[in-house]
Amino acid sequence: MAETSTLRRSPLSHLHDRMIAASVTGDRAVSVTETPFLAQVSLRVEPGTAAAARLGTVLGGALPDGVGRTMTAGTLGVAWLGPDELLVVAQADPQSLTAALSEALGSDRGAVVDVSANRTVLELSGPGARSVLEKGCPVDLHPRAFGPGVAVTTTLGPVPLLLWQTAPATYRLLPRTSFADYVARWLVDAMTELGSPEVP
Amino acid sequence: MSTTPLPEHPAWLWRNPDPKPSYDAVVVGGGGHGLATAYYLARNHGLTNIAVLEKGWLAGGNMARNTTIIRSNYLLDQSAAMYEFALRLWEDLPAELDYDFLFSQRGVLNLAHTLQDVRESTRRVNANRLNGVDAEWLDADEVAKVCPILNTSPDIRYPVLGATFQPRAGIAKHDHVAWAFARACDAMGVDIIQHCEVTGFVRDGDRVVGVETTRGRIGAGVVGLTAAGHSSVLAEAAGFRLPIQSHPLQALVSELYEPVHPTVVMSNHVHVYASQAHKGELVMGAGVDSYNGYGQRGSFHVIEHQMAAAVELFPIFARAHLLRTWGGIVDVSPDASPIIGPTPVDGLFVNCGWGTGGFKATPSAGWTMAHTMATGEPHPLNRPFGLERFTTGALVDEHGAAAVAH
Amino acid sequence: MMLLTCPWCGPRNETEFHYGGQAHVAYPERPADLTDEEWAEFLFFRDNTRGPFAERWAHSVGCRRWFNAVRDTRTYEVLAVYRPGDPRPALGDAVPAPTPAP
Repeated sequence: MAETSTLRRSPLSHLHDRMIAASVTGDRAVSVTETPFLAQVSLRVEPGTAAAARLGTVLGGALPDGVGRTMTAGTLGVAWLGPDELLVVAQADPQSLTAALSEALGSDRGAVVDVSANRTVLELSGPGARSVLEKGCPVDLHPRAFGPGVAVTTTLGPVPLLLWQTAPATYRLLPRTSFADYVARWLVDAMTELGSPEVP
Repeated sequence: MSTTPLPEHPAWLWRNPDPKPSYDAVVVGGGGHGLATAYYLARNHGLTNIAVLEKGWLAGGNMARNTTIIRSNYLLDQSAAMYEFALRLWEDLPAELDYDFLFSQRGVLNLAHTLQDVRESTRRVNANRLNGVDAEWLDADEVAKVCPILNTSPDIRYPVLGATFQPRAGIAKHDHVAWAFARACDAMGVDIIQHCEVTGFVRDGDRVVGVETTRGRIGAGVVGLTAAGHSSVLAEAAGFRLPIQSHPLQALVSELYEPVHPTVVMSNHVHVYASQAHKGELVMGAGVDSYNGYGQRGSFHVIEHQMAAAVELFPIFARAHLLRTWGGIVDVSPDASPIIGPTPVDGLFVNCGWGTGGFKATPSAGWTMAHTMATGEPHPLNRPFGLERFTTGALVDEHGAAAVAH
Repeated sequence: MMLLTCPWCGPRNETEFHYGGQAHVAYPERPADLTDEEWAEFLFFRDNTRGPFAERWAHSVGCRRWFNAVRDTRTYEVLAVYRPGDPRPALGDAVPAPTPAP
């Protein structure tokens, strides 16, 4: 089998320079990067079942069990997408991760599917990150309602995506691959204003 | 203090009579369709002992809220016949009613943005021509000549690949249309009774013999429902169901500007339509809100989307100021075509389901509804639009030509 | 702007949802046995209530689940939301919204 990793190109490779150039420094600093080629596995499993517990064991912790909740173990994270649907995002080999999870599910009701090519991962970080997202995300991102370790599926502008806050001023955005170009350009545009002094 | 006396109040265009105990025909709903129905009942059928009952003020519902576009470039034979008949009536009505309601045949462009749009549009042009409707296919350069402010460059998200053009289409001043019909009705003896809400129907066996109203019981030989937005509510009161869902439909106007927009532009694909009224406002509308609603208001994101589309198509609008947005209630039928005809109740007729397109059909809806009420039988033009088509399956599917999402 | 409460995700903006029309319309058990009138009734006729109306919504960009809501079509006030399969609640018994973490 050909070694595809040397040929493959990330959905935003053509915009990396634009994204670097858009970095803003100062009080409202913000920057955006792509973290391409993470392993992503879709899990469908009934919560509270033995199968769910076995999958949790493979992943290194109990599966998140409600809206907004996540679980992290090292470089691996699991986000709740729906009542019986989760997304695993990891720096790992997708094939062996999928195989391990499939084995844990066994013949129980559920599904384990490698969806690594479905979405790409953008990371938006800096004190200005929340202001950028608030220009086009209908979810309340204020710390009273959102914070590190919270992930929800919502929209940014017109684009549906998974929004995952990983640190006090860092968000992961997971749009589908075909929308990634739009999201990156949207972010670059939304960040521009923060480079100028704030108009009270 | 000035001692100059106030000027004389101009003559009222119609009386404000108290309801009589009974009428030969009662029309429920004093909007454009109700007034046109009463007008043609009197003019074409010699019935003058008629009342038009309006729960609010005359023409204060969708007649006050529509974006006044008049065109007849519908795809199917039945619709083209209905709307083209209306357009011919529109062309004569200012003289017939002796009222200049600013009918301006400035043409309408229906834009095509995709290959599929182009195919559908050229098909519609051909169908229109076969039906005697003036229609042309214009490529992007020709579109730019008709409407120079339209962005026809190829680098926008949904480039303009061409458009259908109907030169005889246009706009009219909606409230003047209502007043013109009301004055003519009144002159023929029709009682226009405002602030008179129909709350129930009086039946003798299977036949309707009157209506209960907030101003008492009124007897009726025949009753016509022309109450767009509330058709289902009235039908329920009369004991039958309509295949209608009522949705909010929004529109907006800008502040007044010098004339910049010479025609009417509609885009099915990006969901906006725009014209410029005689006073100078840019008038824009969008698709319906998705949910059922009688609130005469819709959601902000619909307005936002429609303005984004308008600014992309008309860069010159980018700095225009929004003056006012509003909403009406549209009756949406399963095939995006109207329902005009008899109901399961004898003597009770209905005209509803025009979706977003009722204004342009005001004269032909009135003409055919009057015929149906006076004779008990549909006019050839509205025969295909009866309630029974939902059982027979002979739908008139005009989703494509209805111009905005239904 | 309408804030809808998804039974699984809590209050979210209306733009995250897709409308599904009247709720509790059962597919006929034996469609082939219906008369043309009965089939037309099922296919094309839906309640068009002016007032509290039980209707379906899908949280299409969120958890992608369908649910039901009772909403007043005059004021657009959402009176109750409940999961599919649950009976239409008596008005006033609104399902409490789940609290999003943290």
